[in-house]
Amino acid sequence: MRIRSDQALAGVLLACVSMPASALDIFACEPEWAALATQLAPDASVASATHVYQDPHYIEARPSLIARLRRADLAVCSGAALEAGWLPALQQRAANPRVRSGQSGLLFAADVVETIDQLDEVPFGAGDVHPEGNPHLQLDPERIRSVAAALSQRLQQADAAGADDYRSRYLRWSLQWQQRLDGWRERAAPLRGKTIVVQHSTFDYLWRWLGVEVIADLEPKPGVPPTPGHLASLVATVEDAKPLAIVHSWYQSSQPAEWLSEHTGVPVLALPSTVAPDQGIDTLDQLFDHLLDQLVQVANEH
Amino acid sequence: MKSKPFAVLLGTSAMAFSAVSFAEPVATEIGLTVDAYHKSDNTALGGRLEGWGLSHTELAVKHPFGEHLMGRMTAVVEVNEAESNFDFEEMYLETRTLPAGLSLRAGRFLSDIGYLNGQHPHTDSFVERPLMYRAFLGGHYYDDGLGAHWVMPTDFYWRLSAEAFRGEELGEFADGPKVGTLAFASKLGGDIGDSQSWQAGVSYLRNRMSLEEDEHDHHHDHDHGHDEHDHAGHSHGAEYAGKHMYLADLVWKWSPRGNNREQQLALSAEYARVTDLNQYASNDDYHEGWYGSAVYRFSPQWSAGVRHGRVDLKLGHGDHFHDSSLEETSLMLAWNPSHTQTLRLQYTEQDAVEDWDDTFADAADNVLTLQYIISFGAHDAHTF
Repeated sequence: MRIRSDQALAGVLLACVSMPASALDIFACEPEWAALATQLAPDASVASATHVYQDPHYIEARPSLIARLRRADLAVCSGAALEAGWLPALQQRAANPRVRSGQSGLLFAADVVETIDQLDEVPFGAGDVHPEGNPHLQLDPERIRSVAAALSQRLQQADAAGADDYRSRYLRWSLQWQQRLDGWRERAAPLRGKTIVVQHSTFDYLWRWLGVEVIADLEPKPGVPPTPGHLASLVATVEDAKPLAIVHSWYQSSQPAEWLSEHTGVPVLALPSTVAPDQGIDTLDQLFDHLLDQLVQVANEH
Repeated sequence: MKSKPFAVLLGTSAMAFSAVSFAEPVATEIGLTVDAYHKSDNTALGGRLEGWGLSHTELAVKHPFGEHLMGRMTAVVEVNEAESNFDFEEMYLETRTLPAGLSLRAGRFLSDIGYLNGQHPHTDSFVERPLMYRAFLGGHYYDDGLGAHWVMPTDFYWRLSAEAFRGEELGEFADGPKVGTLAFASKLGGDIGDSQSWQAGVSYLRNRMSLEEDEHDHHHDHDHGHDEHDHAGHSHGAEYAGKHMYLADLVWKWSPRGNNREQQLALSAEYARVTDLNQYASNDDYHEGWYGSAVYRFSPQWSAGVRHGRVDLKLGHGDHFHDSSLEETSLMLAWNPSHTQTLRLQYTEQDAVEDWDDTFADAADNVLTLQYIISFGAHDAHTF
């Protein structure tokens, strides 16, 4: 009897601890990587730690996120220190060796593409800039393709039994993406050479890809919220340059952009910096479609 | 014949290993956090001393030791108009590669009990820890020992901790066994929709150090004048101890659509009960303490908060006890010009509701503290 109850206990413990090995559990730091992972591994259980209405620099290492990372087989994050304020705390707390930095179970997108605006050293008081460069690389459709290739490889490593499926799905996705790229280039042609006012460097990859020039930033320093003094100092420049729009992302307050708009007559354009499933923007190609629609529309009205 | 499948196995595992090992940054992370302040008056039950000073100014070094271990050291300096103090608050190794959500710590580290105890004080929303922390844990309890932490594989967050310490850092005890304190904690947490998150915990601290009644410990040397008090803020010892301490904590945070950069309301409350104070204590003789705090960040750079707390103490006097109760209310306004700097103004009022033998003679009416925190280099990701 004694032995039996011990065995029963061990069985119950095992049942509690062991995970179903069938579907991969994928933790995405940002929703764009969740969207990409869902396309490349439709059978996986994918969840994003953040959404389009959150500033990804300032996420709290909440209990729910620790629990999610604890269960993950694979984590996909932007990297380049974007998550420096919260991911290390999650990793330490979750104690999941699969998603430790340096393991194949953690993919930083910035590690597989070259980031823009890298710095040799960050002078004191420069604001929230990092030597690793701009982390918002999901807004460059060319770099997305490199990240997708790396993600597909990691999926094949994490779930060797499904490797062939992941490979062929990536190839299909890649072909479709190439076709979409050609279409976007055509539609974006009228935007080349235009100017824009921004709030933070969120869309810098997109501006580069489109050939749009940033003439002013509502933030006095990267990561520092707009101040009345700084906004006032921009009025003359913005009035002269007549840019397409004053762009802010959905997670930012629209007040500073609206103030500058009232004083310059330049329209405000709120853009999503990532996919937004609640608005019907489920995939990355829907995101680029939406961004181009919005920008081409303000260009036509310009 | 028999060795062949073994060799194949070895070969494939070696291949698998080379396929999954990636270059890991092994850089040492060094961070310095300076906490400078000016306080207009002393407060009862410790905290910072009046005048100018540096409180909890820390140099933190994190370094990986191979694949499996992470080392951390935190050296803390406190300087005020009476004295200066240097201490190592953390010096431990933690495992990184154990399976099933397990991790082990060995060395000196902050105990996982309560909500605030495991957090570094410079991330606090108020200048000083609540009364119950100052009375029962010396502000925050760290010690030399071993700890095991286990995050359960559940959909919600569930973390269990078990720790064994030497007990030397909990207070001034005459004597004690090799394992002076044992600590256990269980924490649950999760989200409610997009905008709310919560965490609830219960913990228990067993104090095995000698608690024999000693006139001097509990009388506060009140015959020698109050200026000679040993303020708990730098003595790092619990002033009011018992065999058993039970803690419960609850935290709830709300931010519109979870975007805590723009706005966040954080409510937290903790309760502590300390029992078996000494050999004369009956079941009714226990210390009690609690606090509740509300902090609202109304814009990315500004936050305001209020905290109220109370301790009800039983002061040993020979074979019997006297009641003493102290309340404390604090209001604070903080400005974060960047994520590495905080400037905070705090108003504190204390009220000795019941005072035996001038225990709370230091209780202060109107205390203003100005605090400036700045960090350089690597700084910790903030926990919930």
